[in-house]
Amino acid sequence: MAEHEGKGGDGGEVPAPRPDWLPDGCEMLADGEYDAIVMGTGLKEAIMSGLLSTLGMKVLHVDRNNYYGGECASLNLTNLYNKFRPGQPPAPELGHPTRDYNVDLIPKFLMANGNLVKMLLMTKVTRYLEFKTVDGSYVVKGGKINKVPATPDEALRTSLMGIFEKRRFRNFLQYLAGYDEQQPDTFKGRDLRRMTMLQLYEDFGLDENTQSFTGHAMALQRDDTYLHKPALETIKSIQLYVRSLERYGKSPYIYPMYGLGGLPEGFSRLCAIHGGTFMLQCPVEEVLFDDSGVAWGIKATMDGVPQVAKATMLIGDPSYFPSRMVKPTGMVARSICIMDHPFNGTNDAESTQIIIPGRQVNRHNDIYVCMVSFSHCVASPGKYVAIASTTVETSDPLAELAPAFELLGPVMERFDDVSNTLTPVEDGTADRCFISESYDATSHFETTAADVQSLYERVTGQKMDLSIDPEVEQEEG
Amino acid sequence: MASRRRALLKIIILGDSGVGKTSLMNQYVNKRFSNQYKATIGADFLTKDTVIDDKLVTLQIWDTAGQERFQSLGVAFYRGAEACVLVYDITNPKSFEQLDSWREEFLHQAAPMDPDNFPFVLIGNKVDRESERRVSRQRALQWCKSKGSTPISYIETSAKEAVKVEGAFLEVVQMALINSAQQPPEIYVPEPITLSQAQTPYQSQSSVDSMCC
Repeated sequence: MAEHEGKGGDGGEVPAPRPDWLPDGCEMLADGEYDAIVMGTGLKEAIMSGLLSTLGMKVLHVDRNNYYGGECASLNLTNLYNKFRPGQPPAPELGHPTRDYNVDLIPKFLMANGNLVKMLLMTKVTRYLEFKTVDGSYVVKGGKINKVPATPDEALRTSLMGIFEKRRFRNFLQYLAGYDEQQPDTFKGRDLRRMTMLQLYEDFGLDENTQSFTGHAMALQRDDTYLHKPALETIKSIQLYVRSLERYGKSPYIYPMYGLGGLPEGFSRLCAIHGGTFMLQCPVEEVLFDDSGVAWGIKATMDGVPQVAKATMLIGDPSYFPSRMVKPTGMVARSICIMDHPFNGTNDAESTQIIIPGRQVNRHNDIYVCMVSFSHCVASPGKYVAIASTTVETSDPLAELAPAFELLGPVMERFDDVSNTLTPVEDGTADRCFISESYDATSHFETTAADVQSLYERVTGQKMDLSIDPEVEQEEG
Repeated sequence: MASRRRALLKIIILGDSGVGKTSLMNQYVNKRFSNQYKATIGADFLTKDTVIDDKLVTLQIWDTAGQERFQSLGVAFYRGAEACVLVYDITNPKSFEQLDSWREEFLHQAAPMDPDNFPFVLIGNKVDRESERRVSRQRALQWCKSKGSTPISYIETSAKEAVKVEGAFLEVVQMALINSAQQPPEIYVPEPITLSQAQTPYQSQSSVDSMCC
């Protein structure tokens, strides 16, 4: 769209005096002075700007793209092809180029009782979104897809285990269901703060196979290092999984209609209704630092005019900061596949999560597959979008996803991406730059929420209050 | 027949900052006007139950929340809109000249099935300042005629003095209902779950009134 001025109508406004912080030759960017400037409209940044504006801070939120979401955007076919196959039009048999698809660049599901859901409830961003459950949660054993058994009943019916193992696993689940950190009589003589998870498994006589799907598909551990840590954290993760599952019945996961892109946009709207200023297509070229290395503003040149905004803190994803401020943590490989069929062995589920534990395919890191479809309005009728991802271990990242491709069967179209994951060098308290971490390969938002909690604490000096109980809220009506 | 169509209509109001979008919405839903101009803060969406042809219709009217200032409205804002109200200020020609780009932006982002017949209504606001008028009624009508096969409805209002605000929205609702009835039935999508049944803060302000015609 063409540029047009804000605040039309009332004309004759007296221009504000030029502030002394504004460098010569520069104009003010938007209103010039803010409490916080947030760069990038990915989910983490959007949650931060939404929360900070509800605390009364004046927020400027910019993004270099002309759409919301950054790395967390959901793209239509045209934009998806522009990104992965520049110059090539979308294949007509896939469906409408702009209407039918909302393909996530970073696939993840929300745990029904998880921390992201709490953030949505706490901020009432739920009012902008509709969610549906994910049909099933599966784990791969011996190349075959199995439903994750999470209740004592399911434990007895699963084909993942033999008859004696089933009983041992049921005992384990029953112990977990009763365990309450606040009530020592539920510990049954086990001190989960000291006992390792491996010791707890062995205490219940669970074999390696059961340990594998419990740790990876229920506790959502990414590798096996958790085995040698105190059991308590893992137990809490499994309890979260089980309670989330009990919430809606089919799987512990939920997913928004029209894709994940609605999440950052919803939090951005929250910020806007609290007075936040939004600028998409803002070509931020520089973070400005004073002589002591403290960041105080940003610069962007628009229509040939350099413009500067000032703030007491800068928050953003790694791509907006000088490379010296972030360090690589690894790489993630992701493959977006469009298919005209669901997975074999999932009862034709229209949305699923499948975890391939690393150990099953001689890897250190698990492989995740998230599949969504027309039933969540992210693909045209009869089409499915499956995204496989994993943490890269070799020099041939896409070959590492081969076990996932075997599960998928024939695909109509496939888009591959391998990207570096970055983490900030400093925590931001000294230089006032609060940088989020890149999104990892996990197929759920628990690590994302943890990074937001960490950012929030670094920025405000306070812990985020996540005491809201998703189940109580539900019953209020 | 149209009876099983959903009775929730999403309507969005577009136009430059300062033309009176929030005021129009507030005047229509809450019968209130504030003379103090504030770039929209705190306006989200307002809901209003209304009865048309013996049918209860819930309107959900979405404000731009100030995100129009730097053309930064996202696709979720536009998605699912059943009608679009374009607003300009009759004393501000620039706000009139921007109508084309707002309309194009809407059609691009919302991607309606039948863009040529999508229900737009044009509102020329601030007729209480007739003496300062800089855009003639004729010019606005000409613009309305130039868009698509059926001309866009044009209504001049004053949000401040509650002139024709009710009528303008009634026009919008009727067009939205016609449009909604002409849509092909949606593919079967099971009901979404409810994370929280907590009502929006604005729903407490909603009112039921009758607009039989």
